[in-house]
Amino acid sequence: MANILIVDDSSTMRKIISRSLRQAGLTVDEIFEAGDGIEGLGVLASGKKIDLILSDINMPNMDGLEFIKNVRANGNNVPIVMITTEGGDEIIKEAISSGASDSIKKPFTPDQLQEKLGGLI
Amino acid sequence: MSLNAEFAATACLTEEQLAKYIIDSTREVFSTMVMMDPSDDLPLIEPINRFKCSITGMVGFAGTYSGVISIHCPVSLALKITSSMLGMECDEVNDDLNDAIGEIANMLGGSVKLVLSKGGLDVKLSIPTVISGEDYTVNSLSDIDCVVIPFNLDGEKFLVGLTLKKED
Repeated sequence: MANILIVDDSSTMRKIISRSLRQAGLTVDEIFEAGDGIEGLGVLASGKKIDLILSDINMPNMDGLEFIKNVRANGNNVPIVMITTEGGDEIIKEAISSGASDSIKKPFTPDQLQEKLGGLI
Repeated sequence: MSLNAEFAATACLTEEQLAKYIIDSTREVFSTMVMMDPSDDLPLIEPINRFKCSITGMVGFAGTYSGVISIHCPVSLALKITSSMLGMECDEVNDDLNDAIGEIANMLGGSVKLVLSKGGLDVKLSIPTVISGEDYTVNSLSDIDCVVIPFNLDGEKFLVGLTLKKED
């Protein structure tokens, strides 16, 4: 069972992702939520065991790219998958080069989550 | 009301192609994220700027072209959309409603950006903005350079509009 951290400034999207993870039949234990990169780093710093991070890119305060860089700078190698509207763009290449494992474009289906995340958790 | 010829030529898309892309993107967002299936109508001939008892979600573009993609929706329909998205009853204008409509605008913005990027344009997206009220007016950069598609859903209508302007 995996603990997952969802980082997205949209509370609606966090709820949809949570629901879709369970609909996809992924083995999810606890789901933690953060509204931006700063909050996400706070969850990680609290010592909670996180097995996978799903992060948006376009967020206020600290965007997804800065968030990835901070996570990796802290020596944390947890898989990070971007879930973003910014699909098929240079920004995805930057996210991957910064340490993201993969990306999923919004909108998505539970099947697409299963396909992308099944091998990570 | 149409898309300016300069944009259409640069992005290698006709107005009809872009209208179809807006329709396809809207239907995809609604079928996968909202769990509702709207049907589209012909693009509007005359612009609509004034809205009553409605909510508007907008995402701006910046770069080679500036512009806005927007969704305008009666509050009564927005409540149904939000309830379906969240899987829980939403019966008043609140943060959940604003967030849901803003996120729909955000996903539509991402889809349109993908089209513009395929056309070789450098475009950045803003954070979504949402406004609502009993009687308000939204003025675009230009009513000449836009495409607005009406959609029918659950006996009501909402609009998705795209306005673009070339930066000097």
